[in-house]
Amino acid sequence: MQDRRSFINLFVRGSFLTGLAFLSGALILRKKEGEFCGLDFGCNRCDKSESCNLPEASLYRETVWQLDPAKCIQCGRCATSCVMTPSAVKCTHVYAMCGYCDLCGGYLKPDTKNISTAAENQLCPTNAIKRKFVEEPFFEYEIDEALCIGCGKCVKGCSAFGNGSLQLQVRHNRCQNCNQCSIARVCPSDAYSRVPASKPYLLKGIEQDSTTAPKINLGEKGV
Amino acid sequence: MKPKIFIIGAVVLLLLVVGFMIKDLFIDSPGNVNPYAFDLNSLRKGDTSQCMYSEDQQIKPAGSEIHGISTDASGNIYISGKDTLEKLDSTGKVAWIKAYPGNAECIHVDEKGNIFLGMEDHIELLDANGTKKAAWNSPSAEAVLTSIATSGKDVFVADAGNKLVYRYDYLGNIELKIGQKDPSTGVPGFIIPSPYFDLAMDPDGSLWVANTGRHELEKYTREGKLISSWGKASMEVKGFCGCCNPSHFAIFPGGFVTAEKAIERVKIYDMKGNFVCLVALPESFEEGTKGLDLAIGAQNAILVLDPVKNLVRKFIPKKKES
Repeated sequence: MQDRRSFINLFVRGSFLTGLAFLSGALILRKKEGEFCGLDFGCNRCDKSESCNLPEASLYRETVWQLDPAKCIQCGRCATSCVMTPSAVKCTHVYAMCGYCDLCGGYLKPDTKNISTAAENQLCPTNAIKRKFVEEPFFEYEIDEALCIGCGKCVKGCSAFGNGSLQLQVRHNRCQNCNQCSIARVCPSDAYSRVPASKPYLLKGIEQDSTTAPKINLGEKGV
Repeated sequence: MKPKIFIIGAVVLLLLVVGFMIKDLFIDSPGNVNPYAFDLNSLRKGDTSQCMYSEDQQIKPAGSEIHGISTDASGNIYISGKDTLEKLDSTGKVAWIKAYPGNAECIHVDEKGNIFLGMEDHIELLDANGTKKAAWNSPSAEAVLTSIATSGKDVFVADAGNKLVYRYDYLGNIELKIGQKDPSTGVPGFIIPSPYFDLAMDPDGSLWVANTGRHELEKYTREGKLISSWGKASMEVKGFCGCCNPSHFAIFPGGFVTAEKAIERVKIYDMKGNFVCLVALPESFEEGTKGLDLAIGAQNAILVLDPVKNLVRKFIPKKKES
């Protein structure tokens, strides 16, 4: 009796494992033939995404993720939830809207005693905003994209105390265009959506055509 | 027995793992604070010990979109806005309401009861009953007229679009442009980043203008000569916050009443620019409120036009505790 029970146990386990192996193999083979993408792989990791006919792949090719500054509440999650480190979301400066303020709410901490470039006065945790004197009383603020982590603190300060010329945007030289954006999944204001790749930015305050990228430091790869 | 214990143990372990995953995915623990969260709410909490005024009355105007407020020598209240003009007595009782097409961004009533309306890019002059007498030519296509004040035969008008103050005569002719940058006379020029640009007459006949981008009030002669200025950029209660403040101000015996945006607050300064007290704390207003126009009512009550709540709010000094 003991031998028969062991035999049945082994037979059931063996059958289960064999079935699992067949199922996995079938799914992988099916994907390779391009009939069905049953695995939850992002198109950005697939070397056939350019020729793939699946709807997910065409969506991946024709659209990109972008956040709408009008919906953004600057919660800080763009800095912590992106699969890229640092985040693919960066602060973008719309100079056409900027007041070139001396007391810049995006640059200075609210409790700043003296208006200066001293580190303790700066709101940005990574010192990514450069302040330059233009002429009395105007100052220009430039984003160093290599340092920006997309936390949005400056955006919140600028929106609260200024004209809202600092805005967060997904920078497509860094974005992996994941099928499911990990920031969009946790964004509390549903600010993320897919937009046409031909018009990849959603900036407030300026008109853009398909070839216009925001005037910022594009980093090593460019757009 | 042994296999049973093993199965029960495995199930418990599985449940623990699932529970941990659920907690990790869906429940924010108190210690899991976003390091980049920027809380501005603390700035909106004013110091009540510095507030010497209390709200005495709320007046609901007839118009659904209000922009400007002014008072006459008798304490009557005039409110302008979109398509509506109204006059109330000093207690808030309606004297008349008129449909007045257009967007009257600012209003001023002179000593004789003439009503001046800033219709975005031009001035319209009305008699004391609200009947239109004249419409003056627009000073320029870029004009955004935001404030009007009168003194004798002069009408001063602030233009945020061109960053200038015009001195008109009563016929609508521009006699002088005030505030053009001129280092030789020390006039710094007006810095107006947003369309809030207020002015008012000093009891001595000179003109005060809010140079909001510099966070200052500047005093000019009727000839446009800069006499003095005061004001400091700061988030602290004694200074003016944001990109461009004070957005509005009024002069009353012994000082200035100022209103700010960004941190919505109404304050009093003495004639030298020293902070005296708060009239209304930031939490008195909806977050993001802009355009708190001011007027001085009967018995020096401070009238604040709240365009978000669509109210005229009357503030009076707190009674001293005996």
